[in-house]
Amino acid sequence: MTASAAWSWRALRLAPPLLPLLPALAWLPVLWVLPGLSHGGGWGLIGQFAAAAFSPSLDPLVLGSAFSGLGVTVGIALLGWAFSLVLGLLGGVLSSRTVWRTACGSALPAELIRRLLAVPRALHELLWGLLLLQWLGLQPAVAVLAITIPYAALVARVVSDLLDALPTSGLEALRLAGAPAGPALLTALGPALQPGVISYGGYRLECALRSATLLGVFGLGGLGTDLRLTLQSLQFRELWSGLWMLLLVMLALEALLRVLRQRWAMPARFGLSSRSVGRGGREVLLGALLLLPLLLLVAVALGVNPLQLGTFQSLPPWTADWPAVAALPWPSLIGTTLGLTLLAAALAVGTAPLLLLLMAPWPWGRLLLQAVWALGRLWPPPLTALLLLFVLQPGVLTAALALAFHNLGVLGRLLLEAEESAPLQAEEALTAAGAGPRLALFYGRFSALARSYLAYGAYRADVILRETVVVGLVGAAGLGSLLLEALSSFAIDQLIALVAVYVVLTLMGEDLSDRLRRRLLAA
Amino acid sequence: MVPVRLQSEPPALISSPDCPLLELRGIRVPGRTAARLDDVSLQLRPGERVALVGPSGAGKSTLLAVANGLLNPEAGQVFWNGVAPARSRSRRRRQQALIGTLWQDLRLIEELTVQQNLNAARLARWGWPRALLNLVLPLETAANTAALARVDLSAGLLEQPVTALSGGQRQRLALARLLRQEPLLLLADEPLAHLDPRLARELLALLLEQASGRRALLLSLHRPDLLDGFDRVVALRQGRVVLDAAPSALAGPQLASLYRSEP
Repeated sequence: MTASAAWSWRALRLAPPLLPLLPALAWLPVLWVLPGLSHGGGWGLIGQFAAAAFSPSLDPLVLGSAFSGLGVTVGIALLGWAFSLVLGLLGGVLSSRTVWRTACGSALPAELIRRLLAVPRALHELLWGLLLLQWLGLQPAVAVLAITIPYAALVARVVSDLLDALPTSGLEALRLAGAPAGPALLTALGPALQPGVISYGGYRLECALRSATLLGVFGLGGLGTDLRLTLQSLQFRELWSGLWMLLLVMLALEALLRVLRQRWAMPARFGLSSRSVGRGGREVLLGALLLLPLLLLVAVALGVNPLQLGTFQSLPPWTADWPAVAALPWPSLIGTTLGLTLLAAALAVGTAPLLLLLMAPWPWGRLLLQAVWALGRLWPPPLTALLLLFVLQPGVLTAALALAFHNLGVLGRLLLEAEESAPLQAEEALTAAGAGPRLALFYGRFSALARSYLAYGAYRADVILRETVVVGLVGAAGLGSLLLEALSSFAIDQLIALVAVYVVLTLMGEDLSDRLRRRLLAA
Repeated sequence: MVPVRLQSEPPALISSPDCPLLELRGIRVPGRTAARLDDVSLQLRPGERVALVGPSGAGKSTLLAVANGLLNPEAGQVFWNGVAPARSRSRRRRQQALIGTLWQDLRLIEELTVQQNLNAARLARWGWPRALLNLVLPLETAANTAALARVDLSAGLLEQPVTALSGGQRQRLALARLLRQEPLLLLADEPLAHLDPRLARELLALLLEQASGRRALLLSLHRPDLLDGFDRVVALRQGRVVLDAAPSALAGPQLASLYRSEP
């Protein structure tokens, strides 16, 4: 560098506003490689797909089919979500250190249950769905169960984390005054836990709707199946009829949850915005009571029969060939999966703030972003991957782009929420001093939200690692592709090994992203 | 005392030396019940130091927000240097760059260093490349050191995060940032609130010192005992200008009636 002492490499440091944009550098190699991967044959099809968005089919037959498919998807989502909340709350209490310490003086059982619950959490709901499909056969309960199992484990983790983060002075005071453990816990921690749990529970419902759509794409029923069939048969206008309906339902759900969150003064997710914590106890209880008959109705309408879950389907006979399993190219499979994860995460995390900055001067740009991000959240990644195959060759990059688009939708909305609730003063001061809207946003507000946004990005990378299986169908995408092959060819030995590797990998990823998140938030 | 060199100003924004730096004509800003500002007119000429006084809720902060362009009035006109706020974005930015505000809540960027905060005042004149570089490398250290020296802060603070500064240091840093912006019109919204008497007098002296030559200062304050160095005092009550005269005019009965409680 120059002779000036200040301009040495040691002085090089990255200030917070830059951090959220750094991952966007991943676009440079992607744009470099992309032309080589493009086969260009299907631009016409992509054009037709885009044009069909403005002229969806209004044929009553198509609309009716999409509507009933949507009903099934929403029903599956509702049931899976409700069961997972109940089980997750229970699991959360059981894996809370505070609870065990209060009840029997040692937090050891909590640690044990935590470890156990990590396994169902490590597998993506799609994997659960496909595994259960093989064991139980095609029945509505499979999709519900596929959502319930991993979601319950996730909710349990969040609930126990929330519980253990609550101040315990009130609890200790009650215990010293002679209150028994159960009532003391309920009185001291229950009210404080409620807002966080309900806010997170609402968010899980949004996720459940997306998961139910995704499960449909893989044939587990509902609108997702229609979406995939219409895409593969190039009936784009019919596809958009269903897609618009789904989009409306999802946006309505998000709006409803936003209103409830504000009305009940619930904290926004991951503490990205801090609002006062209030209580709408009676209304919450009333809502839960109203949900019960609705859930029963849905269960009956979908034909979910818990008794059928007891009957297993006989698998075709198989012989284990472990040497062949060991001979699989594990390092390259794992490397590809990790590379896919990191690339998709970097693209998603970096693109959201970049687009927000680009659109900053125009109010309509913000609306456009919201629309694109809503589509990204809702449109299942395997369908993006199929769409990309019209113009790109199958492979890691295609899979990464599909995953990135989906997660961009999730991260983008979160970034907008965080940006809207971040303090405005610094940005206003810069604007008043003549800085342009982009620079004012960049210096004024990105500074404040950079760390918590990146911390959420680290969590998202962990989710993406799990999600790599859903884009396995575009081929050559690491463990996910092989897993889907093993599932469809009943190669049980391979399947066991692949699932085990997946579990270990995601648990390690979770640990790593946890550490990264803690470091980011502590700085 | 280290002089800070004024960089080239866009010629279109420079008018005759007598032209008021700030002129408000018949400004009206509606409020929920009564108007926050009602038919307010005011002129500020180069070199003038004007104090804005009045009870809480009289409209002092609203007037400053109109003066620095943050708030568009419902009626009335604003002129900076004799020119109305430009429609074109780039021209408007150049106009804004000549108006510096010292905020009551300081509005420093907490996550950045002292140096980066000082350089943030240059964003109106910088493009993206320098704005990005400022977040990676120490830029314009000499000018920043000079600005810190003018407010009696040591250059050793340059690489410190803002969060490491004391309350008094933060106040001075905000002023140093204002100097780095090199504005012609200095606006200050209750900069002396929450300061102990000694610190308040020191900061006021620094501010008054800046308003010389072509610069002018409009400062809102609560304390009538600090009006010494000002050329004029403008008193607001219920959104209206009730007095615009030399500081000596605000004494005894006028002062009492300005701050008397509402019927």
